[in-house]
Amino acid sequence: MEKEFIRNFCIIAHIDHGKSTLADRLLQITGTISDRQMVEQVLDSMELEREKGVTIKASAVRMLYRHSSGKEYELNLIDTPGHVDFSYEVSRALMACEGALLVVDATQGIEAQTLANLYLALDADLTIIPVINKIDLPSARVAEVAQEIQNLLGTPPEEILAVSAKEGTNVEKVLEAVVERVPSPRGDTSLPLRALVFDSHYDSYKGVVAYVRVFDGMIRPEDTLRVMSSGIDFRPVEVGIFSPDMRPVSVLSAGEVGYVATGLKTVSECRVGDTITSSTSPAAEPLPGFRHPKPMVFAGIYPVENEDYERLKEALEKLQLNDASLVFQPEKSQALNFGFRCGFLGLFHMEIIQERLEREYDLDIVVTAPSVEYEVVLRTGEVVRIDSPALLPDEGLIEEIREPWMVVQIFTPMEYYGTVMDLVRRRRGIFREQEYPAPNRVQLTFEIPLSELIVDFFDELKSRTRGYGSMDYHFAEYRPGDLVKLEVLVAGEPVDALATIVHRDQAYHKGQALVSKLKEVIPRQLFDVAIQAAAGGRIISRANVKALRKDVLAKCYGGDVTRKKKLLEKQKRGKKRMKMIGNVEIPQEAFLAVLGLEED
Amino acid sequence: MTVFSLYLHIPFCRHRCAYCDFNTYSGQEDLIPAYVEALCNEIRQVGRTAPNRLPVHTLYFGGGTPSLLPAEAIGLILETCRASFEVLPDAEISLEANPGTLTLEWLQTIRRLGVNRLSLGMQSAHPEDLRLLERQHDFFDVSQTVRWARRAGFENINLDLIYGIPFQTLARWEATLERALGMFPEHLSLYALSIEHATPFYHWVARGLLPPPDDDVAAEMYEKADAMLTQSGYLQYEISNWAIRREGRLWVCQHNLQYWLNEPYLGFGAGAHGFVEHLRTANVRSIRAYIERLQTPAQLPFPLTPATEQTQTIDPLTEMQETMMMGLRLTQEGVSRQRFEQRFHRSIEEVFGPTIASLVNLGLLEWRGERLCLTQRGRLLGNRVFMEFVDISAP
Repeated sequence: MEKEFIRNFCIIAHIDHGKSTLADRLLQITGTISDRQMVEQVLDSMELEREKGVTIKASAVRMLYRHSSGKEYELNLIDTPGHVDFSYEVSRALMACEGALLVVDATQGIEAQTLANLYLALDADLTIIPVINKIDLPSARVAEVAQEIQNLLGTPPEEILAVSAKEGTNVEKVLEAVVERVPSPRGDTSLPLRALVFDSHYDSYKGVVAYVRVFDGMIRPEDTLRVMSSGIDFRPVEVGIFSPDMRPVSVLSAGEVGYVATGLKTVSECRVGDTITSSTSPAAEPLPGFRHPKPMVFAGIYPVENEDYERLKEALEKLQLNDASLVFQPEKSQALNFGFRCGFLGLFHMEIIQERLEREYDLDIVVTAPSVEYEVVLRTGEVVRIDSPALLPDEGLIEEIREPWMVVQIFTPMEYYGTVMDLVRRRRGIFREQEYPAPNRVQLTFEIPLSELIVDFFDELKSRTRGYGSMDYHFAEYRPGDLVKLEVLVAGEPVDALATIVHRDQAYHKGQALVSKLKEVIPRQLFDVAIQAAAGGRIISRANVKALRKDVLAKCYGGDVTRKKKLLEKQKRGKKRMKMIGNVEIPQEAFLAVLGLEED
Repeated sequence: MTVFSLYLHIPFCRHRCAYCDFNTYSGQEDLIPAYVEALCNEIRQVGRTAPNRLPVHTLYFGGGTPSLLPAEAIGLILETCRASFEVLPDAEISLEANPGTLTLEWLQTIRRLGVNRLSLGMQSAHPEDLRLLERQHDFFDVSQTVRWARRAGFENINLDLIYGIPFQTLARWEATLERALGMFPEHLSLYALSIEHATPFYHWVARGLLPPPDDDVAAEMYEKADAMLTQSGYLQYEISNWAIRREGRLWVCQHNLQYWLNEPYLGFGAGAHGFVEHLRTANVRSIRAYIERLQTPAQLPFPLTPATEQTQTIDPLTEMQETMMMGLRLTQEGVSRQRFEQRFHRSIEEVFGPTIASLVNLGLLEWRGERLCLTQRGRLLGNRVFMEFVDISAP
C-alpha cells in the first residue's frame, strides 16, 4: 500500500484503563476478527497477562479500514507493555509509530503511568489522540478528566474523544481520528533496508520471530538479512503481517509493520531495539536508541527438591527464549544447594517469572529475597560488582560500597501527600520536587535506593494511598552508602540465603524485626532452634523456637483410619515443601521474611 | 484362624456436645425402633452372605449414646448377632454409656443379656469443664453410674476423660484424675481435646470466643496423667489408653486392639465403617437414609449391604502403611517383626528400612527386642512418626 494510506499507532494507558478492551473493539469494527472469533482481549495471549490485567508482550496487528472519504487505509496497531519494568520495550514500540491513543479512565483520571508513557510518546514525537474511556460507568467524570487532559496537553475538549470501549460507544470516531490526525509514515523504499525490531517471540518452527517496523527500503522473503548490532546474517524463514494471525506476504516496505521469522535460535540474537538490514547492501547506520536493558533486581531461585534442578534449568531456558531480559546463571547456596541467580528488569518482572515457573512448569521453588547489584570498592582499589549479599567480601577488605539509586515519580491524590512522604523518608528517599499536573493530584519526585524500592515499596504505596497512588521509576546512578551485611544464623549456622545488605543505621532494627518474623514462620521442630541476626561480626538479636512437645492424633479407631491417614499425608506434604537447612526445616516464606519488615 | 469384631453404631444423643463431630443426631429418638429393626436387618444380611459362620470375639456398641436404647433393643441386637455369627463364649461385649441416661435396673438387664464392659463418658469432674463441653451430667451422675454398674455385675469399666479443655488448669485436671482413679476403673481413655471442623467449638475458636488448645499445656497434662496412672497401677498400652493390671490380667479393650492391629471388623449402623478382605466400607451417615436403604433387601456380595455408601480396596502397600500407622499407636506392643512378615511375606526392613532407621536416629522409635515401638518421647510426637510411613511409595 502507498505510504500515505498507512497509519502506525499504539495505545498507551495506565494499567486497567481499558487499553485491551479498546484494542479488541478496533479489531472487531474493522472486521480483522469476526465477533465469533472474538476471544476477550486477544492481544493479551498469555494466561497470566489476562489474570493480572496487564500486557506483558507487545503485539502488532494490521487492520484495513475504509474511511468515510471512501478510501481504504492500512492501520497498524502496536500494543505496548503496560508496566514500569518494561519502559525500554515501550519506548521501542513507540518508536515504530507516528501516533498514540492516550487512553484515560473516566473514573480514575490521569495516573503515574499515563504520564510516564505520555512523556515517552512525546519524546518519540508522536501525535497524541486523547481518549477518555469507560464513559458508560456511573462514576465517570468526563468533563473533569477532559480538563485534566487539557491542562496536560493543551488539547481543546472538543478534540478529546469520549468512548466506552466496552459498549462500543464512539469507537468508530477513534479510527477516523487515527486516519485524520496521525501522519503517514516517512521513509524511502529506495534506501538500504533499516527495520526496527520492537518485539519478538520464539516459535519452535520458525525460530525467533522479530516484530519489525520498516523505516527505509524493503524486506523480501528471499533477501539475506543482517542483525546490525551482532552482525549475524540469516535467510528469513518467512516475512509477513499479523492480521491478527501470522500471514506471509511477499514484501514489507518502508512505513509498514510486520514480522520477520528469522530462524534464529535465541531472542538474544535479535533483541528489541536492534536494526535489521540487508546483508548484501547494508545500511551505514543502525536506527538510534538500541541498548541492552540491564537487569536491576536479582534473586536466587532454587528447586525445593534437589532433583528438580534440571527441570528448573530447562524451564528458565524456555522462558529466556521469549524474554531476552531474563538472565540467569548457576549458583550454589550452602543453605539451598544448587539453583540459579536470576536477574530481572524489576520486581514485577521477577514476580511474573516466578509465577510462570510455578504454574506453567509446575515447579516447587524457593525464591530468595530480591537484591540489587552493588559496586564494592576494595582497599586494593579493585571494584567488584555483587548481586548477592552472600558474596559481599569481608568488611575489613572494603573501602566503600555503592548502591544503585533511582528517580521515582509518585502520582497520588493530595490527601495522601503526608503518608507518601513518610513512606519515602523511611526508605531513605530524598525529596526532589513536586508538580500538580491535575487538580487535587500531586506528582512527587524522589531519589531513592533501589534496594528500598524492591522490598514491598509498591504494595506499601498502594495500601497507604488506598490504591490511588501510582508510580514510575528509572535508574539514576550508583552512590556510596554506609552499608553492612546483615546475616542470619539458624541453629548457629549462617544461612547465606537469608543474608541481606542494609544501611548501618537500620541494621539493629531490621535484625530484630527479621529475627522475630523468622521466629513466627519457622515451625517448632523436634529440638530447640536458635535464630540470631549478626551485623559487622556482632550478634544483634536472638530468639529461640522452642522444641515441639506434642503432635499426635488423640484418637484413631476403626472409623478413622482413612480420614486420619489423609490428614497425615497432608501434614507430610506440608513438611516436604520445607527446605532442610542442617537439621532445621525452614518454610519457603522464611526466605522472604526480609520483605514486609517495614510495617512491623 | 481369623476372628472378627463387630461394631454397632447407635447415632442418637439427647444433646449434641459442643466439641463432638461424631455421626450422631439429637431430636430423632422417635426413629429408635425403626433404626433397631434396620440394624438387625443389616446384621442378618451380612451373616447370610458371609462365606462361613464368622467367629466373633468382640462386639462394641458405640455412639452417639447406646445407653439411650431400651434394654430389650440391646437384647434383640445381641440375639441377632449371635444368630448371624459365631459369637465366642468369652467375647468382650462393650457398650458406651452416658452418665445420667440410665438406671440400675437397665444396667442389670443388659449385664444379664451379655454386655460385660461399660465405657462411660465422664470427660471431667469439674462443673465448669462439663458446662463448656455441654455435657448433660455432673460428677455425681458418674459416680452413681459406676456404683450401679458394679452392683449390676460389671467387672470391666472404662472412663473417658478429656484434657486440654480451654480454661482447664493443670490442678483441675489432676483433681479430675484423682476422682476418676477413686472409682477404681479397669480402664481409662484420656483424650486431648481437638477442635474438629464444623463443631460449635470450631466456630467459637475461629471467631476468637474460645482460646485454641495449647499443645504445651496438653503435653504437661499428659505427662502428669501418665505419672499418676502409673503410680496407681495402670499401664499405658496405647497413646491415649491405660489399663490396670488386676486379678492376673491386663484389662485392655480387646475390641479397640482389633483396630490397632489392623485386623478385620464389620461395621453396622448409620455411618459405621468396616474393614474386611482388603476392603474398607463406610455406611450412609444419615439415620433416615440408613433405615430407608435397609427396607429394600438386595443381594450384595459380602461384606456389602444396601447401607454401604463407600468402599475402598486396600492394596498391599496401603495395608502395610496402615498397619504401621495403627500398630505404632500401641505403646507396649508396637509392631512385631514376625507378625509383619507372616502377614505380608516381606520383612519390615525391606519395606520401611530407611524410614525406620531415620526415626530411630531421631529418638522417636526404638526396637524392643523384635518389636518396633514409639519411644517415651515419641508417644507425644506420634504424627511425626506416622506421617513418614503413610507417605512412602512402593520400594
